[in-house]
Amino acid sequence: MKTFRENIKIAFQSLLLNKLRSALTMLGIIIGVGAVVAVMSIGTGAQNSIVQSIQGIGSNLIIVMPGSPHEDSDPINQFATSNLESLKLQDVEAIKKYAKHVSGVIPAILGGGPVAYANKGTNTTIYASSEEAEEVYNFEIENGRFFSKNEVANSSNVAVIGKTVANKLFGNENPIGKNIKILGKSFKVIGELKPKGATMFGQDQDNAVAVPITTAMNKLFGQNYLNLILAKANSEQEIDIATEEIARILNKQHGIKPGETPDFNVQSQTQLLDVLNTITNIFTITIGSIAAISLLVGGIGIMNIMLVSVTERTREIGIRKAIGAKNRDILIQFLTESIALSLSGGILGVIFAGVVSALLNKYSPIITSISISSIALALSFSTFVGLFFGIYPAMSAARLSPIEALRHE
Amino acid sequence: MSEKVIIKTENITKVYKIGEIEVHALRGIDLEVNDGEFIAIMGPSGSGKSTLMNILGCLDTPTSGLYLLDGIDVSKLNDNELATIRNVKVGFVFQTFNLLPRLNVFQNIELPTIYSHKKSNNKLKKIYECIEAVGLKGKERNRPTELSGGEKQRVAIARALINNPAIILADEPTGNLDSRTGEEIMAIFQNLNKQGKTIILVTHELDIANHTQRIIYLRDGLIVKEEQVKNPIIAEEILIKMPKLEDKLVEKISSN
Repeated sequence: MKTFRENIKIAFQSLLLNKLRSALTMLGIIIGVGAVVAVMSIGTGAQNSIVQSIQGIGSNLIIVMPGSPHEDSDPINQFATSNLESLKLQDVEAIKKYAKHVSGVIPAILGGGPVAYANKGTNTTIYASSEEAEEVYNFEIENGRFFSKNEVANSSNVAVIGKTVANKLFGNENPIGKNIKILGKSFKVIGELKPKGATMFGQDQDNAVAVPITTAMNKLFGQNYLNLILAKANSEQEIDIATEEIARILNKQHGIKPGETPDFNVQSQTQLLDVLNTITNIFTITIGSIAAISLLVGGIGIMNIMLVSVTERTREIGIRKAIGAKNRDILIQFLTESIALSLSGGILGVIFAGVVSALLNKYSPIITSISISSIALALSFSTFVGLFFGIYPAMSAARLSPIEALRHE
Repeated sequence: MSEKVIIKTENITKVYKIGEIEVHALRGIDLEVNDGEFIAIMGPSGSGKSTLMNILGCLDTPTSGLYLLDGIDVSKLNDNELATIRNVKVGFVFQTFNLLPRLNVFQNIELPTIYSHKKSNNKLKKIYECIEAVGLKGKERNRPTELSGGEKQRVAIARALINNPAIILADEPTGNLDSRTGEEIMAIFQNLNKQGKTIILVTHELDIANHTQRIIYLRDGLIVKEEQVKNPIIAEEILIKMPKLEDKLVEKISSN
């Protein structure tokens, strides 16, 4: 009985006989598998980080964006039109007044620009919102306080600053009570936010200042519309009903009749997550398939080497057949060899990708995470490559006539 | 004769087509070999002896005619069935040894058992028996490249014996060996024959053929003559008279 183990042994013996050749052939698979697994680890890392950062801004959130929801549900386009001007402060008031399933609602404007203190300055992200943002948006205060309802009502020039801004402008100095310039306007620092760290795209979440929404609309950006409305449902179970409720209230507020397309777009946090996941999936699949092409090229290399190997070992095949090897025995011998070649390459490729992703984690802002499924996928794919590209050489070996093969020099 | 017939061929022909031309390699061979016989097939090149050996060894099938090997009609079998017959019924010994260079002596001898799909508990014992029978004890772990020609041929004989075949087919087994080593190999064959093995030897050297019991002469694809060897050469007797290589060297050196 020619056992599985003996086949594996024979395969590795002949691979070891041509070490350099086997190593070079394997390299194609190593690079292919390594690239696929590494790209997938970046994709998974991005996904995990998006989930974290979206859940980090609070739970049970409902997001209202300006612009019509798209019929074609193309996830990219949903964001392309988000700078429309349909959302107003009154909408926030209406939701606050009529919605029963919503525990908090805040307006938001996101912008950017220079901030300065004395002779030091930096560019930063500006979050404008109401006093409720502290709770709804999960702003945590390390020092001082968040702005109050009164300060929002009065368009006060007060600001809460992030850690990076504090470090750049004040160093070791206590920023509370100091006056800084935002877009050239003077603001009093009343609080400092707890550090949140960087997002997976390398964006520093602590390089930010928060100001009252009214101040931003009237004094900073001079706009009468909002970029976003964030609402918080009473509980997880009420998210769907709250989403519908907000849509109904805004339809009434904007005078949109049943059947008409609204000029806004309500999404729950989970829906938004789905959309973002779809985007990262598209990214992963696209880059992953480009990487998979190198696996294909590696497979062709294997086929090439196996054909050479069959020609070189024609006599061996003849001897084996003369003493009783069946066509199937020869087929299995060469198939095992090509699968051993590509699977070894696959395993080395996974190790290679593991090293790359560990290095990325350590020395770059990119967060990676290798999933078991990507390893399984890569290994089964490289097995398949070995099988697919090995079958033709193995079949031509199996079909050799023993007499011809024995005569071969 | 009441002896069991191990090989019986009836009117075997073999026609090769090379392009438009038909080559009649065998034109009707009737041959009977008894169990335990030691025969030689002789003939000049082109006489069809290689073709006949390929057919007797089940490497090839005849174009027409009947071939019974140990009671099995093997003339109509397919590739895989032939492979099984070769594995179980035939032991090959080739002129060029045909050992696998990457395997050691033990593994080369073991090889046919890997392809026989039967469980054997005393496989190891059998392998060592065969190694001992051809006088290779102590060389089990050597590679073919570390062996002399005679030793390589001994490995090949042991490999041919391992599955207890019905016939041993030897194609010019002494062709690549010096005369003393050739004689040693013939001694092994004669011993095996004494133990009851059926051996068919293909050769073009009459000296070698005269070690057997019966010689069959082939020419142009037909058996032209068949004769019993009256007084077969006993290889062991020759070996006693033959000086060993070292002795010759000693003589040469001392005579100078």
